[in-house]
Amino acid sequence: MSRSDALRSRTLRRIPMYVLLSVIALLFIGPVLWMVSGSFKSIGEILQYPPKIFPEVIRWENYAQVFSLQPFGRQILNSAVLMVLICSLTLLLAIPAGYALARVRPVGAAIFFLILLSGVFIPPEAVIIPLFRAAADIGWVDTFYPLVIFTSVLSTGPVAMFIMRQAFLTLPAEFEEAATIDGSSRTRTMVQIFLPLVRPSIASAVVFTAWFSWNQFLEPLVYLRSQAMLTVPVALTLFEDPLAGPRWNVQMAATTLSILPVLIVFLLAQKHVVSGLTAGGLKS
Amino acid sequence: MMTTQQRAAATSAPGILRAPKRGSSRRTPRSGRSPLHSGRNLFGFALLAPQTLGMLVVGIVAIGGVVQLSLTRVNVLAGTREFVGVDNYTRIFGDPNMAVVLSNTFFFVVVLSIGGTVLSLALALLLNQKLVGINIFRAAIFIPALVTTVAWTLVWGFILQPGGLLDGIVGLVGAGPVPWLRGEWLTLAVFAFIQLTKNVGINMMIFLAALQAVPQELLDAAHVDGAGRWTRFRHVVLPQISSSIIMVFMLMVSGSFKVFELVLLLTNGGPGVQTSVLAFEIYRQAFRLNDIGYASALSVFLFVLVIALIGLIWQFRKRMVFHESE
Repeated sequence: MSRSDALRSRTLRRIPMYVLLSVIALLFIGPVLWMVSGSFKSIGEILQYPPKIFPEVIRWENYAQVFSLQPFGRQILNSAVLMVLICSLTLLLAIPAGYALARVRPVGAAIFFLILLSGVFIPPEAVIIPLFRAAADIGWVDTFYPLVIFTSVLSTGPVAMFIMRQAFLTLPAEFEEAATIDGSSRTRTMVQIFLPLVRPSIASAVVFTAWFSWNQFLEPLVYLRSQAMLTVPVALTLFEDPLAGPRWNVQMAATTLSILPVLIVFLLAQKHVVSGLTAGGLKS
Repeated sequence: MMTTQQRAAATSAPGILRAPKRGSSRRTPRSGRSPLHSGRNLFGFALLAPQTLGMLVVGIVAIGGVVQLSLTRVNVLAGTREFVGVDNYTRIFGDPNMAVVLSNTFFFVVVLSIGGTVLSLALALLLNQKLVGINIFRAAIFIPALVTTVAWTLVWGFILQPGGLLDGIVGLVGAGPVPWLRGEWLTLAVFAFIQLTKNVGINMMIFLAALQAVPQELLDAAHVDGAGRWTRFRHVVLPQISSSIIMVFMLMVSGSFKVFELVLLLTNGGPGVQTSVLAFEIYRQAFRLNDIGYASALSVFLFVLVIALIGLIWQFRKRMVFHESE
């Protein structure tokens, strides 16, 4: 009886646990695998019953069709541009506000905090009508303005402000004292001393915001009109053939393409992605 | 980490909503009083101004606008509006369709919030063990959270299509094709399942973090005292993670009003309004039927509902949470 025997029997006893975990995991990634498989099938294979797990041949032409049926490259670019714009505006609003609430604390800070946080409790569905009418009045329909401004101010800004405020709160007061004694100005103290220290929280805020904007559906659906302005989620829903019904294979190819960049980012920066996506909730 | 946080909490953090007393701030080694103070206030206001102004302007346009519209009848084609008082609100309660829509909405709120919280906690407990390759399973459960809601919905639409994967699977045991998306409770259950699997990963991660923060000494002490697995969970772990539970629950409650993509893309709320929910009904009335006044009344109703539920849970939280970090 050596140690390796003991190890082996322990591993054997764990087999049921691994089976259970695999079944659960399959429920979550099975749909993704089915999507990839479907993206390589012909429409005939897709409609065939009972369905086959693997495609007969790998049909890359489905992926080519994604780009010929819609300006999908442009639409990916739209989503990316919106993501960058919403992240930038959100940080520009939220970092100073979070810093002010945590470290400067002017008179009435508590009231400011309540006003800024109130956005968290406004469901976007409940205010889309007046915001759409306002956007239409200013001539913002089919532009990115309402998406960037309304989203940053109402949805992502409050959460990012909260994340940044928490981050600035956890820094010890000595930094500030040292800076004040050194004669550093207020702005310099903020930008050069505090900002570098909260980089992980800025990363969380960026991940949260980027994800929120990439995932948005109702707002682009309402504000955007022309095919060349659409974002990826809206474009994904438009791969139907008006006569023959859904082009499942092309749609699944497009959907696969839309997931790929996110998966790559996740694999490269797992820790930041997880902390960013959970940060929206980590409000305690 | 913990020590910095505690120190910071001790030195610089008053309660969330407690205003700092004027001039009582302990940070600046103060020499001069009011000039320094007014300078600080001005600096603070300048930093807060952009977001506060944005919030006030957009907030007033949004909430003021929706309340105002809800009291009118809007004729989109003629471009006219007439004041109708609370007619739109009384219409909500007289509309037989709304009974279905509201009960569906509540179904999702209850199932997704309770089911989502319990399921993600159970998964977190299951995955909070030291096993070779456990990270692979954690990542697998997290992956749907990285797929956009629309993509996840479309993939499920593909799985549920007549003669699709799921029909193929039930076909293996000889069951016929199942009308997954033709309404009735089955479609609602399918929706709940799709929505649950989408976001459970994020909540599971929140719980995993909370579980890993439970001090091992506490568990060991309970073990020594002869507490069994369940007792340790019930009396040691549960109180330690109670604030995470309430937080996840609140997230799930506000998120459960957003079963919008599923309804729009898979059934369009049909047949009739059998599978519709409040968020979709707002969209349908406003942007398809051009009934802006009624849709606005529904919006206000949704808003009040969300606020009331969140407020209720907040009150509950005060009584339930064992320890608060802030």
